[in-house]
Amino acid sequence: MMRSSGFRTLLACFVALGFVLLAGAVAPLHAQSPTVVRYWLWLDDPTEPMFDQLVKEFNATHPGIKVEYQFVPLNEYHDKLVTALAGGAGPDAGRFKDWWLGEFVKLGALEPLANSIGKWSGRGDVIDNLWETGKIAAAGPVYMMPHQFITFYMYYRKDWFAQEGLKPPTTFDDFLTAAKKLTDPAKNQYGFGLRGGGGGQDQWLAFMVAGGARLVDAQGKVIVNNADGVKVNQWYVDLFRTHKVAPPSAPTDAYAQVLGAFQSGNTAMFAHHVGSSVLVTTKLGAGSVGVVPIPAADPKKPATMATMAGNVVFAGSKQKDAAFTFVSWLSENAPMDKWSGSRQGQLPVLKSVAKLPRYTENTFFKTSLDGANYAIAWPPLPGVGYVSAQGWMANMQRALVGQIGSKDMLDEIAKALER
Amino acid sequence: MRSPKRSSAKASGRTRRGGSWLLPLLLLSPALVLLLGIVAYPIARALWLSVHRLEILRPDLSQYVGLDNYRSLLKDAVMGIALQNSGVWVAGVVLFQLFGGLIGAVILNQRFPGRAAARGLALIPWATPSVLVALMWTWMLDGNYGLLNDLLVKSGILSRFQPWLAQPGTALPAVMLADVWQGIPFFAVMLLAALQAIPEDLFEAAKIDGASAWRVFRHVTLPLLLPTILITTMLRMIWTANYMDLIMVMTGGGPGYSSLTVPLHAYYTAYKRLDFGYGSTIAIVQVAILAVAIVFYLRQLRANEGMVQ
Repeated sequence: MMRSSGFRTLLACFVALGFVLLAGAVAPLHAQSPTVVRYWLWLDDPTEPMFDQLVKEFNATHPGIKVEYQFVPLNEYHDKLVTALAGGAGPDAGRFKDWWLGEFVKLGALEPLANSIGKWSGRGDVIDNLWETGKIAAAGPVYMMPHQFITFYMYYRKDWFAQEGLKPPTTFDDFLTAAKKLTDPAKNQYGFGLRGGGGGQDQWLAFMVAGGARLVDAQGKVIVNNADGVKVNQWYVDLFRTHKVAPPSAPTDAYAQVLGAFQSGNTAMFAHHVGSSVLVTTKLGAGSVGVVPIPAADPKKPATMATMAGNVVFAGSKQKDAAFTFVSWLSENAPMDKWSGSRQGQLPVLKSVAKLPRYTENTFFKTSLDGANYAIAWPPLPGVGYVSAQGWMANMQRALVGQIGSKDMLDEIAKALER
Repeated sequence: MRSPKRSSAKASGRTRRGGSWLLPLLLLSPALVLLLGIVAYPIARALWLSVHRLEILRPDLSQYVGLDNYRSLLKDAVMGIALQNSGVWVAGVVLFQLFGGLIGAVILNQRFPGRAAARGLALIPWATPSVLVALMWTWMLDGNYGLLNDLLVKSGILSRFQPWLAQPGTALPAVMLADVWQGIPFFAVMLLAALQAIPEDLFEAAKIDGASAWRVFRHVTLPLLLPTILITTMLRMIWTANYMDLIMVMTGGGPGYSSLTVPLHAYYTAYKRLDFGYGSTIAIVQVAILAVAIVFYLRQLRANEGMVQ
């Protein structure tokens, strides 16, 4: 009897101990297993620490969610994303360009965000027309949260213009006159840093729309190869071929080359966006660099190119709510201001941030934000991804080296856009 | 009447056929599985893709298109340019690497102070990552402030800077120059090893017979190097035909299609246009062309080996 009672007591002790251990093991397990959101992004400057700080801040203030991020260079971003999603190993959310929107929506890879945005407190603060950059059709759902955008403007050498008695150009004619005057091949100096290599399609589109050409009409029909398009494109190609105001290396010059040429005094003007303003002014000094909107064929009809780098949630994600919580948090006031104010510095999409003095009093930000009033984005066509990755570059280069004419080039681009 | 030797050999052959083949097969199976997985499956998959139109994120919607992709090849003007560029690229690069490597091997085989260090340093281009080589040469060849232009202008050879990578006539040769620089050490080291294996007494005998340095090279060194030259050339031809990192970083195949080669065309078609079916077709055609070239080359190799023996 005694023996049996002792055994029962011992058994009870073991069972109790087991429960205690189990409870101890399970409780921290629950506390330590937040929903993991895998997020991909590219950075123009991968050494910029701001994004890491933002993720740490988000993870500290949202204990139920843990964001794990991965940098992928922009050149490989599209390819890696497609193959990762096809292999079922894609992220839950990611930074995204409007270039790829049509293609990925067609593939069914993006989650419509209308319901989530409806509940998001910051939606009224987004600059009104920027929601359109995340849509395929005006009446359709938003697939991309606006986050950081750019509009193209033009840098010019203030000191060189002053020496030559030139005014900052506002029209195509002023621009060409100045470019010719500031070109001196004997000194390896050229008027304009034309970008015919990787990424040059944004600069080209800025001049195309400023010249009055359009990629699509109001119904979304591709019209880039109509008479207006051919004329403006011919003018752009002639900057290199006929007027020779761009360096001979222009057909393959990419960002590093056009930036380097401007910084080292080989070119007098080049078109880019606010993301390079710190690099340009640090190298040349703020007093030597001016900025103007992209010159227009008709100054009464200014236009430039805008492109949005937003955030999307992928349709295959199992953590869509948590993923949206993170990407919508990135578009809130404080994180937005930190991000736009960092070296990555692109334009904030919130009205409350855009009106802060650090943006309104900075000439580069101000010119960019003013440009947003008349900027035109790439249309959300499935072919834009290919055109921006390779189609434009190959055909532009063929036009620049005289292998095809302006019309042939635009026919090829129209064909690729209409795919 | 059968000889006892022959019948015993036949008997052992029967035993092998009878069942003892299982053990070798078992021992080979890890390698076979690996080969099937990493060689046979990708080839079979590429063949399958080449007769389909693949919807990358919706494979269930992929369609069988028969030989449509192969028919498209005949109408693809860019493929014609890429084939031509690939021919120039492989022939030019391998030839210059071989000659450079041969000269390098002969020099490194001489006795001179610091030879060990020179042999080590000669390997640097080969050991440098391709992307780094591409970036280095891109800046050296830069049309605005490249080192090469600077040297050529200062030495009076050129009157002004040339955009080597931005002109259709010079883009491919400029990338080839970078690849030749990178690949010479491979040939130099392989040929140096073969040179060192040639018995010294053959050279001595030739010299005693009064042969000049050129005749020693022509009639002793070269024939004995030939098997190594032929096999390394074949390997290098395959690698060079498939190699696209350098071109992709330095010119992206441009300007236009001036430096676009077949693998780069396949890559752009598959990953930028998301047309994996047609991209695979281009790759299959490249494999077929390479296979024919290699078979032809191997026949020549055997004929030459016979000649050497």
